[in-house]
Amino acid sequence: MLSIQDLHARVDERPILNGLSLDVNPGEVHAIMGPNGSGKSTLANVLAGRDGYEVTSGSVTYVGKDLLDMAPEERAREGVFLAFQYPVEIPGVNNAYLLKAALNAVRTHRGEAELDAFEFLAVVKEKMGLMHMDESFLNRGVNEGFSGGEKKRNEILQMAVLEPRLAVLDETDSGLDIDALKVVAAGVNSLRSPDRAIILVTHYQRLLDYIEPDFVHVLSGGKIVRTGDKTLALELEERGYDWVQEAANA
Amino acid sequence: MSSAIQKSKRPGRREAALDAFSAAWSDLGAGNDAATALRRAGFEAFTGTGLPTTRDEAWKYTSLRKLARHAFRPAGPAEAPSPKQVAAVSVDGLDAACIVFLNGRLEPGLSDLTNMDGIIARPMASYLDDHESSDAHPIGTVAAIGQHPFVALNQAFLRDGIVIRTVPGRAHDRSVYLLFLSVPGGEPVAAHPRVFVDATDGSQLTVVEHYVGFGNTANLTNAVTEISLGPAARVDHYRLQEETANTFHIGGLHAKLLRDAQLATHNVHLGGTLARLDIGIHLLDSGAETVMNGLYCVDGRRHVDNQTRVDHFAPHTLSNEVYRGIVGDHGRAVFNGKAIVHPDAQKIEAHQSNDNLLLSPEAEIDTKPELEIYADDVKCSHGATVGQLDADALFYLLSRGIAPDIAHDLLTFAFAEIVAKRMPLAAFRRRLERHLAGVLADDRLIQENLGAER
Repeated sequence: MLSIQDLHARVDERPILNGLSLDVNPGEVHAIMGPNGSGKSTLANVLAGRDGYEVTSGSVTYVGKDLLDMAPEERAREGVFLAFQYPVEIPGVNNAYLLKAALNAVRTHRGEAELDAFEFLAVVKEKMGLMHMDESFLNRGVNEGFSGGEKKRNEILQMAVLEPRLAVLDETDSGLDIDALKVVAAGVNSLRSPDRAIILVTHYQRLLDYIEPDFVHVLSGGKIVRTGDKTLALELEERGYDWVQEAANA
Repeated sequence: MSSAIQKSKRPGRREAALDAFSAAWSDLGAGNDAATALRRAGFEAFTGTGLPTTRDEAWKYTSLRKLARHAFRPAGPAEAPSPKQVAAVSVDGLDAACIVFLNGRLEPGLSDLTNMDGIIARPMASYLDDHESSDAHPIGTVAAIGQHPFVALNQAFLRDGIVIRTVPGRAHDRSVYLLFLSVPGGEPVAAHPRVFVDATDGSQLTVVEHYVGFGNTANLTNAVTEISLGPAARVDHYRLQEETANTFHIGGLHAKLLRDAQLATHNVHLGGTLARLDIGIHLLDSGAETVMNGLYCVDGRRHVDNQTRVDHFAPHTLSNEVYRGIVGDHGRAVFNGKAIVHPDAQKIEAHQSNDNLLLSPEAEIDTKPELEIYADDVKCSHGATVGQLDADALFYLLSRGIAPDIAHDLLTFAFAEIVAKRMPLAAFRRRLERHLAGVLADDRLIQENLGAER
C-alpha cells in the first residue's frame, strides 16, 4: 500500500530525514518510535503534504501512485489521514460543517453520492458514541476550547468518519491520561481492518499496550535503524533509546 | 439668507460638492422656527470648516477628493421601488415595524407606522413643526456639530428622518426597522436623514438601520442618528450598510447614556465606494455600559473608515469593543477606536480590539486603537492585529480533503463569525452569515447550524 524508498527531507534547509525506507501493507499496524528530533513528526507531515517540508530525494508510492506528486487535499481524498500531534483550533467553523465537508469531499472523489444532513448525522452520532463524545461537540468550533484529550478524541472521530485507507497518527497518545488513552486506543482498534493500514508515531511504549503493532521501527538520525515486533518496544522501554542509537552507530 | 462657504482648504480648486450644498441650502427658505435655527447653526458650522481633508487628524487616512467632485443635488421625489423589490432587499424574518426612506425621505406608502407597540414614531419634519424653539426638543443635543462637519451638514438640511420615543418601563419586543433606500435620482443626490431615539427610563428597544442602494448612481447618504438613553434604558442598535458600489456613505451614531443604561451597537459595512461611520458614546453616569461590535468587508477599490469614541465620564462604567475587518483586492480600511477615561471615572472597564484579515498584497489597513486615561483605578485593554489566513488552519482543512478555495472561504467566514456571533438578533445575524458564507451557502448544513439560535 505504502512504499517509502530512501527518503530525504529537510525543514528550513535542515536535513531531517536521511534515507528512510519503509513498506506498509494493508491490514498492518506499524509503530514508529524514536527519541525527540529523530524525524518522526517530519515523516508524518511529509506524508500528509505539509508546506515547508521539502523532499530532496527518494520516493513515496501509495497504492501505486506517486504520493509526493499529490496536493494535500488529493492525498486526503485518496484515503490518507493524518491525526495531528497538535490539532489546530478553528473558532467559527463548527465541527459538524468540517466533518460533513470532509466526508463529502472524500465520497465525491470515490464516486459515491454525498450524504444529506440526516444521513450524515446518523453516521456521525454512531461514531461519536464510540469515542464517548457528547453531541454538543458537533456545534462547537473545531477544537475550540477542547482539552488536550478532547482534541485527540476529535482526531480519531474524524478518522472514524472518513474511513481512510492509510492512517498516520502523530503522537496521538501524548498528553492523554490513561482513561483518555483507552478511549482513543479503542477507537483506533475498532478501525483496524484487513484493507486499512495504520502508522503510529509515538515516543512512548505505553500506547502499544493498547494498540498492538505488527511491526515496531526505531527511527534515529532520520532513518530507521532497527525493526522488530512488539517486543522491541518493550525492550526500548527498558533500555532507552541510547541503546539502539549506539548499536546503529557501531 | 445667503451665505457662501467661507474657507476652502484647497485654494484654487473648485469643490463642486460645496457649491452644490451652498446652493441647495439657500433654496431651503427660512422661518423663525426651531428647525430654521438648527439648520442655520448647522450650515454655519459646516461652512466654518468645509469638507475635512487628510490634514485633519480625524480624516488622515480618508480622502474626500472624489466625493468633493460631485455636485450632489437635494433629494427630490423619486420613483419608489415596488413592495416586492423592497422585500427582496429587506432583512428577512425580523419582527419589526418597518419604516422606509427613499433618498432620506420617509415613504409612507412603504411604511407601517400603525403597529408600534405604543412607541411614538414621528416624521422629523412634522415633529420639528410642532416645536417653536429648539429648547423644547432634544434634536441636535446628542450629536455635536462642532466636532463633526458631516453632522453639521446633516443638521444644515434637517428635515428628513424620524423621531422615536419608547414607552417608559416597557421592553418592546417588536423592533423598529429603518430601511434607507438610495435610489437613482437622475443626477447624484444627497440624502441627510436624521434619526432621534429617545429611550425613556427603563425601556428596551431594538433598532435596525439598514442602508441599501438600487441602481448605480453616485449618491451621497449622510445619515446621523442620535440616541438618548434614560436611566436603566437599553437599546440594541444594528446598522447594516449595503450601499451600491458607487455610493458615498457617511454616517454618525451618537449616544448619551444615563445611570445603568445599556447600549449595544452592531455596525456592519458591506457596501459603498467610500463609507465612513463616526460613533460617539458618552457614558454619563455610573452603571452605564456599552458594547460595540463591528465588521467590515472591503473589496474592489472600496474604502471603509470606522471611527469610534467612547467617553467614560463616570465611575463604574463599562465599554467593550470588538471590531474585525476583511480587506481584499485593492480595498482599504481604516479603524480608529478611542476610549477616554475622564478624571474621577474610577473603577471603569474599557476594552477594545481590532483584528484584520488582509487577503491581498494590495489591500491596506490603517488601525489605531487609542486609550486616554486620566483616572488611576481602571481596567483597560486594547489591541490591534493585521494578519493573513492561518497557515496551520488552512493545512488542517486541506488534510481533511477540503478544496483550497473552500478552505480559504471557510477560514474567512470563521474570522468574521467571531463578531457575527456577538450579535444576538437572529434575523440580522443570519442575513450577515449568509452574506459571509458566499460560496459556502449552498451547503444546507452551514445554514441550518449557523442560522440556528445559539
